[in-house]
Amino acid sequence: MNNRLKVLRAERDWSQQDLAERLEVSRQSVNAIEKGRYDPSLPLAFKIADVFGLTIEDIFSRD
Amino acid sequence: MTTEKHRPSGVLGRGPAFWAVMVFISTALIVTLSVTGAIEQKAPLLLLTIVPVSLAMVMFRAGYKMADSPSASCGGKGAAQKTYIKRTAIFTSLYLATFGLLMFADREIGIEGELKFALALLPGLAICGIFWAIGRLIVEEKDEFMRMLVVRQALVATSVALSAATVWGFLESADVVPHVDAYWWAVAWFFGLFLGALANRVQYGTWGAV
Repeated sequence: MNNRLKVLRAERDWSQQDLAERLEVSRQSVNAIEKGRYDPSLPLAFKIADVFGLTIEDIFSRD
Repeated sequence: MTTEKHRPSGVLGRGPAFWAVMVFISTALIVTLSVTGAIEQKAPLLLLTIVPVSLAMVMFRAGYKMADSPSASCGGKGAAQKTYIKRTAIFTSLYLATFGLLMFADREIGIEGELKFALALLPGLAICGIFWAIGRLIVEEKDEFMRMLVVRQALVATSVALSAATVWGFLESADVVPHVDAYWWAVAWFFGLFLGALANRVQYGTWGAV
């Protein structure tokens, strides 16, 4: 699964740590999701979408 | 302009991964001494296990300090890991204390019967406490990615320990290898945790929580 986390983060000038704090997860989690090594669960995907004020489809897409 | 001075986390400037490697090396040395027959008596071998256990304590301390460092985690996410480290440190201390008590009582007092059974039971129960702490970590960890890493580690550890026990058991039945006391399979399981952490590092770029 592809995602736009890095771009969206950069647009807001957030570090991985900043995003991790907003999502209440570890920085390692954000890093793994961002690099496509780990696909988040649906609840976490919704949380990510909420943090960016977007829909899940705006952030994640199929390979 | 002010620069924030970097304070190294861990113990003696070394993180938990370094101390985990030390635990592995010391355990491997003891196993080698045992298997090669360099030390044949059981008592010195058991006493030597204090070295990896002590190093494990240092590893837990390093992990705790790292979990406390601002750059390591965030938003209370590290709470489950900190609780795990505390629990493991307590059970490791209990293991050391009960094992020391057993050795002292057995060699100096020469206990027998039910009292010996009870004292011999305690170190094993303390190690069971560490297994319980890992189970609780899986239950209490709210960060799903970190939880998955722990589960992966536990699966690798279980595969390693059960495979090693099975293969060795058949070899031992065929009288082609020496007898190994059953508690070494717990050591194999902890070694498997280390391999699981390595696998996590390769696949996900991070060691995991345990």
